[in-house]
Amino acid sequence: MKTAQAGTLESMDCIVTVSESEKGRGISVSMEGASVARFGGAIIDSTKETLKNLDIHDVSVSIQDNGAGDLVLRARVEAAATRLTGGDAR
Amino acid sequence: MRLRRTKLYLPGNNPNMLLRGHLFEPDGVILDLEDAVAVSEKDSARILVRDVLKRGDFGDCEVTVRINAMDTDLWRADIETVVPCGIDGIRIPKVENPKDIRLMDEALSGIESKAGIPVGKTLIFCLLETALGIWRSYDIATASKRIAAICPGGEDLRADLKTTRSENSEELIGPRRIVVLAAHAAGVDALDTVYADITNDEGLRRETEWVKQLGFQGKSVIHPNQIPIIHEIFTPTAKEIEQARRIIEAAAEAAAKGLGAVQVDGRMVDKPVVKRAEFTLQRAGLKSGGER
Repeated sequence: MKTAQAGTLESMDCIVTVSESEKGRGISVSMEGASVARFGGAIIDSTKETLKNLDIHDVSVSIQDNGAGDLVLRARVEAAATRLTGGDAR
Repeated sequence: MRLRRTKLYLPGNNPNMLLRGHLFEPDGVILDLEDAVAVSEKDSARILVRDVLKRGDFGDCEVTVRINAMDTDLWRADIETVVPCGIDGIRIPKVENPKDIRLMDEALSGIESKAGIPVGKTLIFCLLETALGIWRSYDIATASKRIAAICPGGEDLRADLKTTRSENSEELIGPRRIVVLAAHAAGVDALDTVYADITNDEGLRRETEWVKQLGFQGKSVIHPNQIPIIHEIFTPTAKEIEQARRIIEAAAEAAAKGLGAVQVDGRMVDKPVVKRAEFTLQRAGLKSGGER
């Protein structure tokens, strides 16, 4: 199973790990860290939206958060997903 | 005249600094995709920098991005990603050849016109970090109308000069003088390199006073604590501003009366003195004009 990662555990950042799933399994998101209790729903929504914009539909995502806001989360999801699919990270 | 007393480097893969750097109120920020980013993180940093630029919250700062050098295969993707975000300029490291600037100018024009940005809007700041780059500084500074400033290197330049850092940076006296001369001959800013010892405020103050005296308009900064010290040195005092105003008023009066020269505070005021007074007011943000 292919896996790719992006981000750090520095303040205001997060580590996003994206792994391939079987076709049809959809997007699953697991999270841990400071903001999860308060913003878990929003984190899942942003993660799924970012992946769908990249035309990625079957992956499992793990997020270790250290206070990343929405902008940083989306950037890290995109970087990890682009690394997974081997595309040009632009 | 755009004030460029301080330009704060923000590591391109560090969200905390990228999002908060402007709050320290430097005159400009440099989002760094080059040395501050590990080779393995270039792709991730590029995405993060793009999204931070799109958010666009940088206060009054001039926003530039240091891209990867033109002898790498990264620079095209860098400019294709950041220029459409509408930045003020790019900072090119290790410039040695005016031909590279012309190539960059063309590449920027192509991206700008595709993105609906006025062609020529994106300025170029050149880092001259080798002996050859310093030697060709005037040709580089005049290679494109986009050039806003040329800047001597620090550690890379010392390595290329086969020397090391001394307490007073004597090894960089020659390169700094050449850059100042070339910049002013070309009508662009001369911006100095960073002062690396972030705990030595006295050393920073001494070096900044010296480079100001040489003719530099500002310095790059690697720590927010350095900003107020440099701003203080590059900002005219109230007394200097008052004197500059009196000189300009006296010169205007003399011109209206058809007189060639006039005295202010017992000193002869002629053209160079008026020019210096105008520059003082430009530096204080009270008069427009000056270099790009």
